[in-house]
Amino acid sequence: MTNNRFILKSSPHFKGKDSVPKIMYAVIISLIPAIAASFYFFRIRALLIYLLSVSACLITEAVFLKARKKPMHSLWDGSAIITGLLLAMTLPPSLSLEIVVIGAVVSITLGKHVFGGLGDNIFNPALVGRAFLQVAFPVAMTTWIPPVTNQINTATYATPLGNLKFQAAAAQGALTPLKDLFWGNIGGCLGETSAVALLLGAAFLLYKRAIDWRIPVGIISILTVFTGIFWLTGPDKYASPAFHFLAGGLIIGAFFMATDMVTSPISPLGAWIYALGIGLLIGIIRLFGGFPEGVMFSILLMNTFVPLINRYTRPRILGERSTH
Amino acid sequence: MNLSARMIVVLTAVGLISGSLMAVVGMLTKDRIALNRQQEIEAAILEVVPGTDTSEELFTEKNFTIYGGKNRDGNLIGYAVYTSGTGFQDIISLMFGTDPNITKINALSILEQKETPGLGAKITDKELFLRFWDNKNAGSALSLRKPAVRSQDELAANEVNTITGATISSDKVLSIVNQSLEKLKQIKQAGKLISEDNDAE
Amino acid sequence: MPSKSVGAEYIKGLWEENPVFRQLLGMCPILAVTNAVINGIAMGLATYFVLILSSVVVSSIKKLIPSQVRIASYIVIIATFVTIADRFMAAFFPPISKSLGPYIPLIVVNCIILGRQEAFSSKNSVGRSLVDALGMSTGFILALLVLSSIREILGMGTFLGHQVMGAWFKPWIIMILPAGAFITLGILLAVALVIESETKKRKN
Repeated sequence: MTNNRFILKSSPHFKGKDSVPKIMYAVIISLIPAIAASFYFFRIRALLIYLLSVSACLITEAVFLKARKKPMHSLWDGSAIITGLLLAMTLPPSLSLEIVVIGAVVSITLGKHVFGGLGDNIFNPALVGRAFLQVAFPVAMTTWIPPVTNQINTATYATPLGNLKFQAAAAQGALTPLKDLFWGNIGGCLGETSAVALLLGAAFLLYKRAIDWRIPVGIISILTVFTGIFWLTGPDKYASPAFHFLAGGLIIGAFFMATDMVTSPISPLGAWIYALGIGLLIGIIRLFGGFPEGVMFSILLMNTFVPLINRYTRPRILGERSTH
Repeated sequence: MNLSARMIVVLTAVGLISGSLMAVVGMLTKDRIALNRQQEIEAAILEVVPGTDTSEELFTEKNFTIYGGKNRDGNLIGYAVYTSGTGFQDIISLMFGTDPNITKINALSILEQKETPGLGAKITDKELFLRFWDNKNAGSALSLRKPAVRSQDELAANEVNTITGATISSDKVLSIVNQSLEKLKQIKQAGKLISEDNDAE
Repeated sequence: MPSKSVGAEYIKGLWEENPVFRQLLGMCPILAVTNAVINGIAMGLATYFVLILSSVVVSSIKKLIPSQVRIASYIVIIATFVTIADRFMAAFFPPISKSLGPYIPLIVVNCIILGRQEAFSSKNSVGRSLVDALGMSTGFILALLVLSSIREILGMGTFLGHQVMGAWFKPWIIMILPAGAFITLGILLAVALVIESETKKRKN
């Protein structure tokens, strides 16, 4: 393991004793703090959405495994459960429950099985489901409620990034305090509000080496640089990099979604390219796009480039000569 | 006949026949298409200047026309302004009506739009959007109420409602109306609203 | 080269050689105008009109046209009928003409029409070409109807403008957007493939 050049890699690139279920269950464990935080902030609604999302994913997966005559035990490899959990974590807590089910079914169907199932999907399935819901139910998907622990009496409630984009919060000094962003006492999607809970889980994943550290590091550094430049030139118009790091879906996206084994590049160089692309796109959408948040679209867009990135960053096999 | 001559003859013949066919169809349908357009405009004028019996063009330039609406006795009862501007997706064409002194907006009607279906396209929805434009104070520029409220009573006299989830489209309509309202006032002040019918005013 | 019965010539357009589901032709209108059933029907009828008349004209003058300029002649003939259809709709059905916008003039470049002239009418008798055109355009209308029904019902909860879904139903706006067209068409194509392979299996 001293010289990377002698390692022949192909997807899925786990080494040693790691198996698909083992990695998957590490991911599930790492999500527990954030899920617990969403129970705390949104109570019974959170529970219902998680339950429905995960069970709808499992049922859809079972139907497809049956129809495609695949072994039923792969239902429990954890991938469908992760899709269900991640989807639920990216949904607004006030979403009607039938929409949750539609999202879960779409995730597994259009996100995974139309491509041939786990390992062949191009996009992160949970994000496919979320993107579908975002376009299908734009109003319901952008209607937010404050957490139970932070009751503010307003008819409509905005996310910190929504405030930044639509209410010119930076100019009025009305940006959500970083402390609230860190603990999660804010409006937003179920599992993305509490930065500290997500970071705990992310640390566990990094410790277990279940994810490629280059991807979150790359995304966060380029976003910090990008938003930092604008912040320095106009602090009354743009939010600080720290705000951009803690707000919205950046942490959950960078650590838990962009790092999906199947839909991220294989080689280290590829991972860097992929991460820089995501980070830059997030910055551009957040600062100049029509939507307040761009994590989902950025990851999905860069997912489409992964086959191309893999092709051009394939490590050379021992003894192989350059064909150019 | 050699080949190239034949090619020329055949193509010319095909072109001539189709050309004359299209000319005939164009002539037959021209009046009808113009009539459709006129009826559409008249229906919109009636909507935004209620009680209009006859209307006439008082001022026109590219994408901006002012119509005067008259009641049965021939008195001017209001102006209808046909205008267009960019929306979120594409051009929005609309018409709004005012009273003769331009102190209030009677109503708004959207004639053409290609906004996102289900979101921005709600600007054509009477219940959600257009009814909040009825009888607005036109003394100053109108402003947008965000977030949306449910009833007309909650809005100030020069305030109109947004559509939840389609703030940009609502905003675009508002700015088109505000600009045209200003333009209408200037044109009227400059005395450029000329009626061909001399005994009208 | 008449090898099929007249009936078979008609039927093949409905399924076996359905222009949309089997030949993947006419994708532009099928994706663009199927957000409401009424638009689908209007587009279907306009294509019906253009395809039938073009096929009859092309097959009756096929011997006169030198092969070097055949495509140019076909396009002029097709464009003539398209213009007639476009003006006619603008004159008598202004709301539909408005909602279809540029897609009626774009029938000129619908591959189904030029494809049938090249592949069929230029080689077959007037009668056969007419039957073929009838079958193909009926197949096209069927595809438009299926797609636009799914999209309108899911995307707006209505069918031909009438509310068919209960008040509980929340419209899936994505279905009346272009993304919904691609998703629906993709799923329908997959279903068509499954049906095709199942029937083949049964035959063998």
